[in-house]
Amino acid sequence: MGVGTEQGVGVYVYGLVPEDVEVSDDALGVGDEPKELEVIRHGKVAALVSEVSLDRPLGTPDDLLRHEGLLDATAAEVPVLPLRFGGVLASREAVVDELLAPHHDEFAAALKEMEGRAQYVVKGRYVEQTVLREVLEENPQAARLRDQIRDMGEDAARDARIALGELVERAITAKRQTDTQMLLEALTPVSALSAVREPTHELDAVHLALLVEKERQAKLEEVVGDFAERWAGRVEFRLLGPMAAYDFVMSSTPGGE
Amino acid sequence: MTVQPATGGIGRGPSPSGLADVIDTILDRGLVIDAYVRVSLIGIEILTVDARVVVASVDTYLRFADAVNRLDLAAAGPPGLPEVVQGVKQGAIGDKSKEIAQGVLEAAGEKLRDYVGERAEEREETRRRRREER
Repeated sequence: MGVGTEQGVGVYVYGLVPEDVEVSDDALGVGDEPKELEVIRHGKVAALVSEVSLDRPLGTPDDLLRHEGLLDATAAEVPVLPLRFGGVLASREAVVDELLAPHHDEFAAALKEMEGRAQYVVKGRYVEQTVLREVLEENPQAARLRDQIRDMGEDAARDARIALGELVERAITAKRQTDTQMLLEALTPVSALSAVREPTHELDAVHLALLVEKERQAKLEEVVGDFAERWAGRVEFRLLGPMAAYDFVMSSTPGGE
Repeated sequence: MTVQPATGGIGRGPSPSGLADVIDTILDRGLVIDAYVRVSLIGIEILTVDARVVVASVDTYLRFADAVNRLDLAAAGPPGLPEVVQGVKQGAIGDKSKEIAQGVLEAAGEKLRDYVGERAEEREETRRRRREER
């Protein structure tokens, strides 16, 4: 019986790595009393795990940051297939018997593809005043509504305000699509794969996930830097990474075997 | 532009980003373990943290309209006192400060330090932002 079969203890799985990966002794996992990170090996693949107490729900900010932090630090060094937050198995044996052994070849092939690569996320957000001025300049209808609202009382203006806001929202959505497409085209030569993420804010200009050869990080920074310069005062950029390839791993066998 | 590599660039450092970025990334992305495992998956409760989805609503429209109407005032001069005060207040609250301070070069280490001191507020702030963005 593994320790993981004790009452109230589970085995939290962070991700899958090649079997030759080792973890440092002081790396700790999720939970209130975090346990050491362990590697469970089978054939050419391995799982990064830690014991976790089952007596409290997972999902505190610490847990979330720990999950991503461990995987991203791993991705910076070795290939890794990240698991979605919150996967817990009953025991170490289950990790081998149910996860690693049945899907060994599939995981090994995916890890090989991930060799030397990592994910980067580009986030750009419109500077509100700049983008609103653009919209008013480009959209006479919006400018007209704005002028009408000025002359109305607060209550009378409500419908007009809603109409104006809707016009603005649509215009920003259209700009987001255009700008995202433009950046995506410029980044395609640098990336092995790319994915457009849904906006997480109404002023999002671009939100892209890219799978990039880590050796080409400087090139990636250069392209994003060019756009940041070109759109200075209009779009604020952030480039995150290297991180694990959360956006590029998919279950090819949903439902298991 | 703020470039945020994991601390010190490739190969080191804990999390490259703040809590909001992490939530965007790990809650609905990555391999799903129950696509692979049927028997011994333990249904541990996950604290509900919805991924934030932007859905335009009347609130959004009204906010945009008001922002448009404020444009000329803002162009007329530096921000008035209420705006300054608001800026400072928001800047002091963990997660929100990321929005406000975008474009300011922040080392990942600094962000993490900020975060440690303001964890409870940051969690609350994340919730609030989600509501605003509905």
